[in-house]
Amino acid sequence: MPHLGSRARVVFAASWLGGQIALVVSAPMRPDHIFGFRMFPEASTMEIHLSREVGGGEVPVPRGEWTARDRAGQTRSWSWNDRVRDSVIGRLDTRVFASYGVSAQLARLQRALDDVADHVPDDTQTVRFVAKVEYWKNGGERSTATLRSHARVVR
Amino acid sequence: MESALRRWRDEIGDAYALGATRVVLGVLLFANGLRAARELQDGYFGDVFHWPLLPESWVPSITVYKLIVAAQVLLAALVVAGYRARPALFASAVTGAYVLACDRLQFHHNRWALFCISLLLSLSPCDRSFYVTPDRVAPRVAPLWASRLAQAQLTIIYLASGGSKLLDADWRSGQVIFERMRLYSHAAVDSGVPQAVVDAFAQPDVASALAKLAIATELFLAFGIWGRTRVFALWWGVWFHLTIEATSRVEGFTWLTLGVYFLFATPDVRARKLFFDSSRWRGKLIARLVFFSDWLARFEVKPWAPDAVRKGHTVVVVRRDGSLATGIGALAMVARATPLFFALWAPLQFLASFTRGGETSSKN
Repeated sequence: MPHLGSRARVVFAASWLGGQIALVVSAPMRPDHIFGFRMFPEASTMEIHLSREVGGGEVPVPRGEWTARDRAGQTRSWSWNDRVRDSVIGRLDTRVFASYGVSAQLARLQRALDDVADHVPDDTQTVRFVAKVEYWKNGGERSTATLRSHARVVR
Repeated sequence: MESALRRWRDEIGDAYALGATRVVLGVLLFANGLRAARELQDGYFGDVFHWPLLPESWVPSITVYKLIVAAQVLLAALVVAGYRARPALFASAVTGAYVLACDRLQFHHNRWALFCISLLLSLSPCDRSFYVTPDRVAPRVAPLWASRLAQAQLTIIYLASGGSKLLDADWRSGQVIFERMRLYSHAAVDSGVPQAVVDAFAQPDVASALAKLAIATELFLAFGIWGRTRVFALWWGVWFHLTIEATSRVEGFTWLTLGVYFLFATPDVRARKLFFDSSRWRGKLIARLVFFSDWLARFEVKPWAPDAVRKGHTVVVVRRDGSLATGIGALAMVARATPLFFALWAPLQFLASFTRGGETSSKN
């Protein structure tokens, strides 16, 4: 390992401490507050219900499993967990602990919705995925949020 | 300010304790590598939904990722063994941070803290003790600036954690702790915490008091681990982290923190002496216990032939300043300087304060 001289030590330390402080101070600007060392930030729970937008309406996707016609006109099955394995947003229709807080999990869920929308190219019916989320921030009153994936081109 | 900066930059000292911290980091890195290998058996994160901080094209293929995980396990073994330990520690930190950057779903504060501390310690002379085979003969008295920076990292962690709680109304009121207790009381019971204790703590008023205590503790530890309050702060911190370990899942964060605490030991070795009466089984037992638990080489352990001064005492501890401690005072000194018994230090010191002056401390 290289030996740092006196000046290099000061420059490295100033850069390191400055970088760490910048990461901590800017943590609120990131939805999941990563690099912020916010230990046990919340004790919130959430329950995610998935549905699909098809044609003119919304169809529930119980347990994250759905069937739709593929390009060949055959009926095929898909599962949310084919793509989403996370222990929080991978568990649908059940109340789970929202690790790192509700905002972190909603940000992840939004990404996951878009990811799934991008990875079921053979589904010719689903226009977009919709997640209706009930959450209880720190055991408080029930709140809700609705997240939508980007629209898919359905042919 | 300038003189303090110069002192930090130019400080040299015995790097023995840094080796102990390095071993703790190595074990935690090894466990981290094994966890990643286990998770690989369920599938590669890059094949399913992940959220990279880096451009997607920088996320490794499964083959490369397998090599990274294998390298992480191997590097961690080198860190523990003390062979090419500093490059191995540096590479562990860089690959670990890279994997976190490839998927922020895998981000946990304890992992990020582990990689930060590992990188900083890799810049310190942490390879001069606790090694299987030395790479090269290097003096153990060496610059400590990087290990001081690792200590400063701990201050940042405490400050960030305590500060964010202080600014959060739900945290200040105790609502977060109360809800965590409600949700996870069963886990605490499963960990061995008595049900009655869990029930007692799962009250709103108690949770409110605990929240304030936790915030005050983190903010106190941020600065208290430096200077005159250092020993008490470290003792308080040990119990703080052990309590969290018993009641929550924090991966290796407890052991990481306690390992970093080693860096706060005064950078010297065998500056204290422990004399024991080898004609008594108690003396031999205490000497043996100290010998095996003195991981930071605080004591020179020696038998003595009882003389007029030491007569009647099983052990006598000679402190740095030359003062003597016997009886409970000696046990308190042993606890203060040995990681394994450090949690007992304050109560023993408190008890020792009730013993007669000559028994606990007498000048040479």
